[in-house]
Amino acid sequence: MVAVTVFLAATLLFIGLFNQTIQTAVIYQRHRATATKASDLLDNMLLSPGIPMDWGQGDSFPSGFGLQDPEFTQYRISSFSLMRLNSASGTSVFYPKTGSYYSNITIGSKSFLLVSQSSAINYSIASELLGIKNQYGFQLYFNPVVTVSVTEEHAAGPLSLSLDAYGTGFPLANAHVTYCLITVELNGGAEGNPAYITEYGTVLTNEQGSATLNFPQIDDSEMSYALIVYAHLGGLVGVGYHERVSSEDVYVVPFIDNLSEGKILIAHNYDIEYTDPPSAEVKYNASLVYLAEDFTLREMPLENSYGHINSGDGSPYEVVNIPTDNPGILIITYKKSANLGGIVMMPWGVSALAFPVVFGGDPTKQEWVATDMRQVTVGRIAYQAKIAVWSLEGYQVIG
Amino acid sequence: MMRTIEVLIVIIIITGAFIAASFFAVLPWPRQVSPVNLRRLSFTTLQLLDSNYDLSKAAFEIDNATIWGELQVALSASLPPNVIYNLTVYEVGGSAVGAELYHDLATISNTESLGSTSDASSYMTASANVTFNVIPEKIGEHSGGGTLYILNCSDAPGWWITGYTAHSLAQDLYNLLSSYFSDTVMVQSTTELGVILDGNPLHGENLQNAVVINTCGEAVPIPSSYTVYNDNSYAEYCYEVGKRVNLYNWTWTSIVGWPFYYVSNTNEFSGSQNSWGIYGMARVSNPGLNAFLQGLDNRASYDDSGTSSTSSPGVVYLSTNVLESSNYYGIYPSPYQTSTRALSSSILTGFHLDVTTYVFNPVGGSIPAAIYRHAGTGSSYQGAFYAIGLTRTPDIRLTALGLLADYRPRLYRSEYTTYGTSRLVVLQLGLVGGV
Repeated sequence: MVAVTVFLAATLLFIGLFNQTIQTAVIYQRHRATATKASDLLDNMLLSPGIPMDWGQGDSFPSGFGLQDPEFTQYRISSFSLMRLNSASGTSVFYPKTGSYYSNITIGSKSFLLVSQSSAINYSIASELLGIKNQYGFQLYFNPVVTVSVTEEHAAGPLSLSLDAYGTGFPLANAHVTYCLITVELNGGAEGNPAYITEYGTVLTNEQGSATLNFPQIDDSEMSYALIVYAHLGGLVGVGYHERVSSEDVYVVPFIDNLSEGKILIAHNYDIEYTDPPSAEVKYNASLVYLAEDFTLREMPLENSYGHINSGDGSPYEVVNIPTDNPGILIITYKKSANLGGIVMMPWGVSALAFPVVFGGDPTKQEWVATDMRQVTVGRIAYQAKIAVWSLEGYQVIG
Repeated sequence: MMRTIEVLIVIIIITGAFIAASFFAVLPWPRQVSPVNLRRLSFTTLQLLDSNYDLSKAAFEIDNATIWGELQVALSASLPPNVIYNLTVYEVGGSAVGAELYHDLATISNTESLGSTSDASSYMTASANVTFNVIPEKIGEHSGGGTLYILNCSDAPGWWITGYTAHSLAQDLYNLLSSYFSDTVMVQSTTELGVILDGNPLHGENLQNAVVINTCGEAVPIPSSYTVYNDNSYAEYCYEVGKRVNLYNWTWTSIVGWPFYYVSNTNEFSGSQNSWGIYGMARVSNPGLNAFLQGLDNRASYDDSGTSSTSSPGVVYLSTNVLESSNYYGIYPSPYQTSTRALSSSILTGFHLDVTTYVFNPVGGSIPAAIYRHAGTGSSYQGAFYAIGLTRTPDIRLTALGLLADYRPRLYRSEYTTYGTSRLVVLQLGLVGGV
């Protein structure tokens, strides 16, 4: 009797021990399957333009999800398809005058990318189109390979700016840098509207990937300006930018309301940030520039490019239409008063200002997250595409 | 007591089994469970570095320290800090007989060893001094002929080409096929068609052994001078066309539907319509095809008692031969189509025809699309007919593909592996740190 009891106890004990080993192995296998899925999913998204192929430049929803640039092959990603992804990094912005929410990829204080959520593809739709809804969760992250940070060292006489270009693993030493300084002339346009003038130059970074730019003609520390910098070396191209404005509290905000028509709403910031605003008229002047082969910016004229807006009821927003399907930068100079104004920028296609894009669910607090990455080109800008994938089906483990 | 000893032995055995199983069942490291796909990362990094052809430039300027310095900085900057690399450029082939296929020319690396978990991708770079191209063989350049006539008659409306115009189809055919022929002639009017039917070239081209493509669908343009052949609602004209196809050894191509079902000329038939409201056209109906085949069979006179029929086999599939040609020539129509005007296999014996290319697989006695050649004297052929019995609207790529599959002009491609034109770049990546 004792022997039988001991035998049964020992058997149960070892069944439990074996069970632990087997279950751990099963979980590892499931993790491996998730990792394989992550790699496949990333390639599926990056190597297919979706259906229809040009869905990134329209407002209708695709029937197949893919981010490849339809005009190219391999890992070249559409700057506009990325723009239509509902950002997971920024809080949506509500604009009362249209009654709509806008997906927010705004970077910094005066560089906006706000896309109407009626045009934006959300995570749920993408999961369904990819055939992984309720099976896998994912987050897709596009980050520029080259980061160019610009710091103002001296405000005026001369304006001195230092820039640092570095990749994901190493400074971009001896890189070729092409820059464009855009200075705002508050009364330089027609009918007292603001305008801007540009100045181009090139410089090489040193061994640490740094360079200093001096502009002795800037002798007013209140002068508004923006600097756009392109650093390129051995196939890598990165973008950096920096703005200084004299009117920080009153400015204009561009909203992308209709992608297929290129319809941009020019709004007063008080209508978004303040519920009971003091009214302050802002004059603006909008223009579109795009990146040429030699890394200089070429201006494309816009119809109805200037006007004025105010906040509150009875003061409608203004509209400009962008007439191109090529990536560019919408530059809007604005003027609050004779001495105060500034400049805001909006990339038309995320690559124009190398905006990062985060799309999808939240990988934190997941039991296991598999990741993978690829090097891609968006527009001409080098990006890293990373994906995090986790299982939504759970792991039923006993013991 | 004995039982207790047995139980102890069993426990020892089970313990031994557990220890042995645990020893062999080694669980992998997390990195092995969820590895970064280094092969794809390597490949995409090479593509990124070559996005402005900088990598290709470096591969062919291995003595240029500046370019290689920039390449190493760009490579280091583009990879995450925990990724180590080794990039090697290989020369492809060798100028000397018996030389090894690849030999390394230059290497950059940030490590002495890539460890056990590494992977690599290769990337072929091309020299900026070399242009790679494809030169097609001209059809008939060695055997006479080599002329492509595309009927683009402005005074002849089409039928069953819904959604297209004869002009747009002619333009597409020109783009698809002109490089394969010595001369491509657009026949711009029914008058010009009359000229070539009379045996006279339009621009000094070789009239014999030509390919003639009728872009008007089920209608055939008829020159005013040929309207005298009006017996049996112009079926006699179809016979005359068949005679000339035989005489000049042409390949007559009908791009869609029931061939020779109508004749069209806006001047001659301005007051008549094809019974579907299209003016400038007269309906020949089913005797037209029979009359053409009589002419192709070189019969002495037209027998107006003959008629023709077609069938509807439904969904039909491209033949193996044509699928191969699809890959060879890079023309990719849908491999399955709907056929509602397939010709009967009985015409093969009735008119002394051989099928040299089945474009679609036959379905029973129905031939959805094929190239028929008329048996001439001896083993040679005299005249040919390419009929595509699909339903409207025509996919003009099928016309081009069928002709290419039958004539099989060769493509002379530049060799990417010719010595000095290409270099192979291999990027091997490994991981350091972590588990």
